Amino acid sequence: MDFFILSFAVTNGLLLGGIYGGVALGLSLIFGVLRVVNFAHGSFLMLSLYISFWLWSIFGLDPYLSALINIPAMFMLGFAVQALIISPLIKRESALVVEPLSALLLTAGIFLVLDNAALMAFGPDVRAVQTSYYMPSLMLGGIPVNSQRLIGAVAAVIVAAALSWWLRTSHLGRSIRATAQNRDAAAMSGINVPFVYAVTFGIGCGILGLFGALMSTFIPISPSIGLSFGIKSFIVVVLGGLGSIPGCIIGGIVIGVFEAVASQFVTATSAAIGSLALFVLILIFRPAGIMGRA
Amino acid sequence: MSSPALEIKDLHAGYGDAKILRGVTLSLPPRSLVALVGANGAGKTTLLRTISGLLKKSGGAIALGGETIDGLPPHRVVEAGFVQSPEGKQLFHGMSILENLMVGAHTERARARRKETLEEVFELFPILAERQHKPASALSGGQQQMVAVGRALMALPRVLALDEPSLGLAPIMVDRLFEAISKIRERDLAILVIEQNVFQVLEMADYGYVLENGKVSMQGSGQELLANDHLRETYLGL
Repeated sequence: MDFFILSFAVTNGLLLGGIYGGVALGLSLIFGVLRVVNFAHGSFLMLSLYISFWLWSIFGLDPYLSALINIPAMFMLGFAVQALIISPLIKRESALVVEPLSALLLTAGIFLVLDNAALMAFGPDVRAVQTSYYMPSLMLGGIPVNSQRLIGAVAAVIVAAALSWWLRTSHLGRSIRATAQNRDAAAMSGINVPFVYAVTFGIGCGILGLFGALMSTFIPISPSIGLSFGIKSFIVVVLGGLGSIPGCIIGGIVIGVFEAVASQFVTATSAAIGSLALFVLILIFRPAGIMGRA
Repeated sequence: MSSPALEIKDLHAGYGDAKILRGVTLSLPPRSLVALVGANGAGKTTLLRTISGLLKKSGGAIALGGETIDGLPPHRVVEAGFVQSPEGKQLFHGMSILENLMVGAHTERARARRKETLEEVFELFPILAERQHKPASALSGGQQQMVAVGRALMALPRVLALDEPSLGLAPIMVDRLFEAISKIRERDLAILVIEQNVFQVLEMADYGYVLENGKVSMQGSGQELLANDHLRETYLGL
């Protein structure tokens, strides 16, 4: 294994890992605040990939520009899903904590509906966005870097930093953190908890709107694309530490780099198995995740 | 005749089949301090949770300053002016003291005055000003209770409810807390205090209610209740 190939693999892994982290941000945020594991997370990414695809294929809208429509559309979808579908479940459990299993089953149902609806509406064909311009790879320190992936990874870091900053400093951000820490106390302080939940779900999906737009430039799009990203996001979130935003990016990078480097030695499939073994191994030593607090 | 700050009529509530409140009736005149005492499980905390809208009533009525508030979601109850410092403090442990207090000033009315209110809370509990940037989890039990009371004050309550403020505190802290409560009385609000510390709270209260098995079993001025044999035997062990 020569040094060039290794550093190429590491670079690629960093970029892909950053994107994994960015995709997982919404899952982490939603879990951190609502304590709901959103099994449909990948399906929302799939939808947002299709939004950018159709905007490009029907209206010829540039995939990067489509983020301007994709983000608010996904925000509204997430807000509506929480307010109309998940909220009644939480309400039924009144003051008690949401039963993780019932919420998981509900979101698993949303996943099945969305994936199959997409299959019915769009068919099983794999589609790809072809931009009219060619984005050449950049050469960084003698290593070729895919510019679409670089944009995705940089966006992930920026979104993670902006989200942390916003949660720490804004009025609504503080309300979201208060609700995450103690839902009843937040309600007794005058915070409209159902609204905070819906906004949080909306933000989680809105972030997917951005990544759907960015990833549509280099990911083959099909109705079943969501599940693998959903599961990867789950691994990334648990690995990084549930609810931790920096943990999300770090967890993504760990998985991304491991997969990219391992696939230089073994097949990509075996590398994916290896990344699950790494996941188990890290959790044995750090059960709360890399950035998690036990 | 102004309407009572808080008026509860024949309130019923519970968890599923377990009926906890079986017809509670009580009233807080404006600017009064009313004590609510009773054994564990009598329904005191359930009463506050029901007023706050965290628990659905199954019957009866709750009015704040003459306006019905039952059926409102919890945040609207706070907007209407009923704010409680809940049992067990329920602080936001990942936040600093200052942030905990700021969350308290969430409603528009409270936000508009939050700088002034914060000053007042710091005046009431100077130790909080000193330690305002420390995480809430790093405080002693007494200081955490101060944060909980301070957070409730930040919402500018018309009726302030304190649920077991002295629970688990060292005797010196209990005294300090009661001092603070008498200072809070100077503000334009009515206070409902739930206490295990029956003697101390009835000493200072204008009026008291005894809750037993989800019903008011006795009521009267603080002095009357303190002189009552049944109460002395059951709650004071005299």
